[in-house]
Order: sequence, then C-alpha cells, then structure tokens
Amino acid sequence: MRKAILRLVPPAMGSITPLNRFRRLDGSQIRAILHAVFILALMIAALATPGFLSGPALQSLLTTISFIGCVAVGMTLVTISGNILALSLGATVGASALVVIAASNRSGLAEAIPLALMFGSMVGAVQGALIGCLRANPIIVTIATSVLIYGAAQPITGNAAFYAVYPTSDSLLNARLLGMPIEFVVFVAILLICQFLLSFTVFGRNVFMVGDSFNAARAAGLRPWATIIGAYSCAGAFSAIAGIMLALRYGRASMEFGLGYDYSAIAAVLVGGTAISGGQGSAIRTFAGMMIIGIVQVVLLLQGFRQEWQYLITGVIVLGVVLLSPPAGR
Amino acid sequence: MQQSGSGAILSIRGLTKRYAGATALNNVSFTLQAGEVRAICGENGAGKSTFVKMLMGIVQPDGGIISVAGTAHEIRDALQAQSLGLGLVAQELSLAPDLSVLDNIWLGSTEVPFFHRRSSLRARAQQALATLGVGDWDLDRTVGALSIGQRQIVEIARLLARKARVLILDEPTATLSDIEIEKLMQVLRAIKARGHSIIYVSHRLGEVFELCDSVSVLRNGEHIVTKPVRELTRESLIELMLGRAFEEMYPERADASAAHHGGLRIKNLHVPGAVEDLSVTAPRGKILCFAGQLGSGATAVTRALAGLHDKATGDISIDGRTIRLGSARPILAGEVVFVTEDRAGEGIFPELPVRDNLVVSKLAICSRWGVISWRAVRKLADDLAAQVTVTCAHLGIKSGYLSGGNQQKLLFARAVGRATPAVLVMNEPTRGIDIGARAEIYRLMRRLCGEGYVLLMASSDIEEVVGMADIVVTLYRGRVVACYEGAAVRMPSILRDIANPDIPDGQVA
Repeated sequence: MRKAILRLVPPAMGSITPLNRFRRLDGSQIRAILHAVFILALMIAALATPGFLSGPALQSLLTTISFIGCVAVGMTLVTISGNILALSLGATVGASALVVIAASNRSGLAEAIPLALMFGSMVGAVQGALIGCLRANPIIVTIATSVLIYGAAQPITGNAAFYAVYPTSDSLLNARLLGMPIEFVVFVAILLICQFLLSFTVFGRNVFMVGDSFNAARAAGLRPWATIIGAYSCAGAFSAIAGIMLALRYGRASMEFGLGYDYSAIAAVLVGGTAISGGQGSAIRTFAGMMIIGIVQVVLLLQGFRQEWQYLITGVIVLGVVLLSPPAGR
Repeated sequence: MQQSGSGAILSIRGLTKRYAGATALNNVSFTLQAGEVRAICGENGAGKSTFVKMLMGIVQPDGGIISVAGTAHEIRDALQAQSLGLGLVAQELSLAPDLSVLDNIWLGSTEVPFFHRRSSLRARAQQALATLGVGDWDLDRTVGALSIGQRQIVEIARLLARKARVLILDEPTATLSDIEIEKLMQVLRAIKARGHSIIYVSHRLGEVFELCDSVSVLRNGEHIVTKPVRELTRESLIELMLGRAFEEMYPERADASAAHHGGLRIKNLHVPGAVEDLSVTAPRGKILCFAGQLGSGATAVTRALAGLHDKATGDISIDGRTIRLGSARPILAGEVVFVTEDRAGEGIFPELPVRDNLVVSKLAICSRWGVISWRAVRKLADDLAAQVTVTCAHLGIKSGYLSGGNQQKLLFARAVGRATPAVLVMNEPTRGIDIGARAEIYRLMRRLCGEGYVLLMASSDIEEVVGMADIVVTLYRGRVVACYEGAAVRMPSILRDIANPDIPDGQVA
C-alpha cells in the first residue's frame, strides 16, 4: 500500500516544461499529433523517393488504389452499419469479374456490366438479409459466403481464367480525365456517391443510427433490417464495379482477382479512422486511409523492398492505427 | 471546522476536477465519521458521479486530498481503493452472471490464490452473507439466476468480505422494485448497525430520509451544505439541490378527454409468460398507467403495444382501426411512439449528435426522394429541442454525453411535433432522472394529453403513478388486479394490489 502523501499540484502552479506540456494533453490531442507526424514522415519519404513523382509511378498508384478503393468504400458502409467487417467482398470482386467476362462473350458488354452489378448487389443483399433479419453473426455469414463463392467458382471455371473473346476497347481503357486513369475516375465517383448517400440521404443517416444501436433503431421505428440489406447491397455492387474494371483492364477474369482485397480494404477503413464499433466514420476518411496505404506500398516498391516486406509494413501500420484509436466505449 | 481527527474515516479536502474547460467538481471538502450514513444529493451534472469516481480511483483529481482514517492517499486505481477499504456498488452491477455467488464474492480479490481455493474463503463469504441477513443463500448458486435486487446484495457482500470500511452506493435503487428496495434498506441498516460507513448517492429522497444520518448537497460541482437529515424537510432539500424554490412536481390534472374522440382499445392482450387476458380502454387526452412490480407484466404490456414482442396476441385498435401486434408497423406508421426505460440499450444513439437524435423518426419530413435537407433538419431540431427543453451546449455534441434527464427528453422529442396525435407508450418514463428534469417531463406529458395524445405508461414508482395517472391498472404476476379512475387513484389500494392482492385490506403496510 502506498503511504506517500500526495501533493496534487493544480495545473496552473506546475512548472511548464515540455514534458509537462505533453503530459497535460489528453488522448485525442496526442493521437492527432502522432497522426500529423506520421503523415508528414510519409510525405517526406515519398518525396525523397526517386521516381515517386514520375508519371508512371503515380499512374500505377492511382490505378491500384482504385480497385481496392471501391471495395473499401463498400466496406466502410458495412462497418458504419455496425456489422464489423464484410469478408466476402474479395470473392464478390472475383465472381463479378467472371460474370462480366462470361456474359460479354455471350451477349456483349452493354448487357454484361448491368448483369455483373446486379449479381454483386444480390450477393450482398442475401448476406444483408441473413444478418439484418435473422441477426446472424456478420463475420460468420460473410466468411461462409466467401467460401461458398470460391467453392462454386471452382467447378465452373475449372480453376482457369476466363478470357474475353473480343479484345476490350483500348481507347476506353486508356482514356484519361485530367491525366488520371479511368479506373481512378470511377473510384472517385463511387466515393462521392457513397459519401453523398451517407451524409445527405435518409438511408445514409439510418446506416449511422443502425450502426450505433440496432435496438434503439428498432424501438425508434426505423427498419434496421432494411438498412442493413441496403448497406450490404451497396457493398456488393461497389465490389462488382472493382471486378468489372479488373476484367476490362486485363481482358480476362479469375477468382484470384479479389484475393487479399478484403484485408487491404479493412486496412484502409481502419487507417482512415472509421469506428469498428459502427455508427461513426465516412467514405472520405477511407479514401485518406487508402491513399496512405497506397503511398506506403509504392514507396516500398520504389525503394526496392520485396512484396513480403510490403505486407509486413502494411500490417504494422494497421496495428499502429488500432493502438492509436480511442479505447472502445468512450 | 476542518477537523480530520479521531473518528473520521474519510476526510476530503478541496477536491477539484476539471474536464476540458468545464469544472466538474470545485473545491469540495467534507468529513465522514465512522458509522455514519451520508447521502450525496444533487441534480444530474452536480458532480456526484465524478466525486464517486475519484474516491474509487477511476478518475484522478486535479487537486485536493483524500484521507482515509487520518492518512492522505493518492488513489490511483480501483485496486488501491479496495485496499484502503473503499468499496463501490455501481449503477451497473459488475458481477459475472455465469459464475457462482462464491466466485463472484471473491472475483478480483487480491487474497485469492491462483490455484487453491481455501475453505476459509468460503466461510468468510458465508459470514458476509449472514451479516446481511441472507445467510441462508446457497453460495454455489449461479448469479445469473438471481434477481437484480439479490445481485446487489451479492455486490455488497463482496465488499464486506474484503473488509470495506466505507461502502459507496451509486443509485442502488434505480432498477429495483419496491419490495426489493425494502429488502435493501434492511440490509443497509444491518451494515450500519455494525459500524460501517456508507455514502449513499440517490435521486430518491424518501430513501435519504429513511436511511441516512446526514446529507451533503452538491450543485454545479460545488459543495453547498452538509446537514443532519433531521434538520431538513423534503422541500428544503429539494430547494438546496435546485438552488431555487421548487414548484409543484406534478402538474395539475386537466381532463382533456372531453375535447377529443376515440383512443386506444386493448382487448384480450396476451403476452406468453408475462401477461394474461388484459383488456382496457384508454381515451385520448388521458394518462393510463400500468402499475406493478418487476415481473408484474406492466413492462411487457408496453413492449407488446410498441410491437417489440413477437408472441403477443390480442385485439388492439386505435380510434377503431385495428393495429397489428408483433411488428413495428404501428411505430413506423407514426401511430405509436415508444419511450424505453433502457435509454442506453435501446433508447438514444449515443455516438450520434443530439440533433440526429431529435429528428430520428422525422427524417422523412425533412427530405425529398430520400435526400435530406440539412437546413430543414436544423430548423426542426432547434424547434424540438426547445419544445422538450433539452439543455446542452449545442446540438452537435454526442448525445451520449448528455445527462440521463436530457437523454430522456430526446426520446420524448419523437412524440412531439406530429401532425396527428399519436399513442405514446412509456416504460418507467423518469427512471434515474433528477427532480428538475422529471418535473419538466411531467409537464410535457400533460401538454401532450391536452393535444389529444393517448399516454400509456408502465411504472413501478407509485408516487409517480398516483401523481400522474388518470386511470391506473394494477397488475400482479401477469394479471389485472383492479382498475381505478379519477378520485379512486389512491396510494394505499395501489400499493396493496401490486404487492400481493390476495392479502385482505389492512395487513399490508
């Protein structure tokens, strides 16, 4: 037992040393400072990396984050709706790519794209119905869905890729808007649509409310199950868009397309600062998270680190963010 | 007189805590004698919980000295508070429901060895229960099988077993039925008789006068006064807490039923395991109250009407139109508004701003094709906030930071500002809410009556029932005992009905 008599010094009387000043900051201020320091360090590292500011590097950065970004935006919706994370979006990406290639070989792109979109949102809606109406555990439902999709794809594809019979239009793929690749333009459009949904529509506000408290939403007379189905449908559709873009870019489709996307998207959502407990967050934040992870990866690549190191460092960043995020229940 | 000499078990000097800009507690000093039962009274936001948290080492003070038995200590964490002999029974009980009474009593104690369970621990747990007058309890019973009142007694036993010298009880009766409160009072008197000191934080003034020796009043973080209970009256205590004269708690009944037609008709309502065959009619403009203890079914009736009970059956109609039970459709259609007793669990959206909480169910009228006009939302929220008298810095702060009274007003905001008067179903509408906010909520309820709402409430607070209800239906173990109206609404008959209606008149106090 401590017997030491304590003299609690009122803050005004304490001597102001830099250490004291640091101690007096509360958790959120310290976090803000660390975030700023990290982003500054990242910018310096990026600018100091030879070749980072070159056209090809930036182009490839923007293209890469666009595919995962679409998935991450959908993941944001699901996370805000209080359903932790969807682990089936990567599988949805691959399956949608298969659908769009198969359908375009049969009846052309104009029909294939809406079909793939519909496929993606249906896959999402079914999961949303299980989770929203039956209150099934979201992690189990989405993992099961993911396994189901991979399992169903195997006999259909015979583990091979689907190739587009007719080469896709090069002019469209190489189109640039203000020098940005078309994938990035699509990604930004989806990002803005999602942010609009969240901030300015009844559906979006309901996503926040359901995510904050499902029971309160029910008692208030909202339809939480409908909101959850909506959130998963959107996530499925956004993932399908990623799948479609991948299929068009490479002129082929395989289930390998979506591999690892779930985790990268989760990383972007977390790094962006969307609350894992639901009810808080934004698509814009996820975009910031996506940019940070993308820049880190490009810097590592240009600095000559191998792929394995990239995974390791991305993992460290995500863990660091989790450690920095405020404790639950506060 | 700042003595901290012999007899003083706890002495607090100049205790101060500031949170980002706001002073939660300012220079609070008082002394607790051994064996004294001290009530801490004050409105929500007066600093009571901050005070308790600092005693328990959960929050660190910015200034001040806490001395236990004459020695000053810095209380860094709950473990240290425990070793100093300070024990807290918090509002939310901290028991592990799947463990036994014995395990719970020793859970987290530093005396328990890692592997071996000494028989002396069992004997001491038994002894602690015996002290509380419940020595006949089975130590191996699972805590989950106990009622809330019984669990609270387990918590107290846990503190006694650890030789706590000062017991701190934070709103212990907020979730108890009247019978359980009486049992708790017995237990506390037994502890007091054995020389333990108690700090008793409560909104219920009846308990303060019944149990406590002295009262310390806090207001806006300041210590106003500490006085022996016998020098105070109920009214003078309320005035000290509020800092102003207190007008009537319950607004005058103004029968508004004549001006409105129709109402809610309940016929043969069944809720499996909770309510049997309940039929009653509630006209518009009146407050109908289901009075009963925990387990009487009063709560189940309100939940069934709100569509939150899947298995409820019965013929329910509003103004002659039948509504369906077991679905949220009546709430969705705006015919029923539900105010829960579980504010944290299914009431407010704690992470969302006050503004969002105010307009929850009215987003549709602020939007077109599903797109919200934030200007309309702001206007509506400002209007609703004024109508239900929410007090907060601005409407953008998280509603989880508001006091219980203000959070409850957010729930009531869902009922006001409707084009057509609805049926407002409330469950314990003022549980855990301070006196000022309570009176405001009662006034709001009367106002809604005047506008032609049907008000239904389930309550176990008999004072509130008698003060507010126009019609009272008393319930006991799921069946209706009696229905009183107007002048027949009187405390003795209601108390008898809900305690045990099978005992004839005159045998129940």
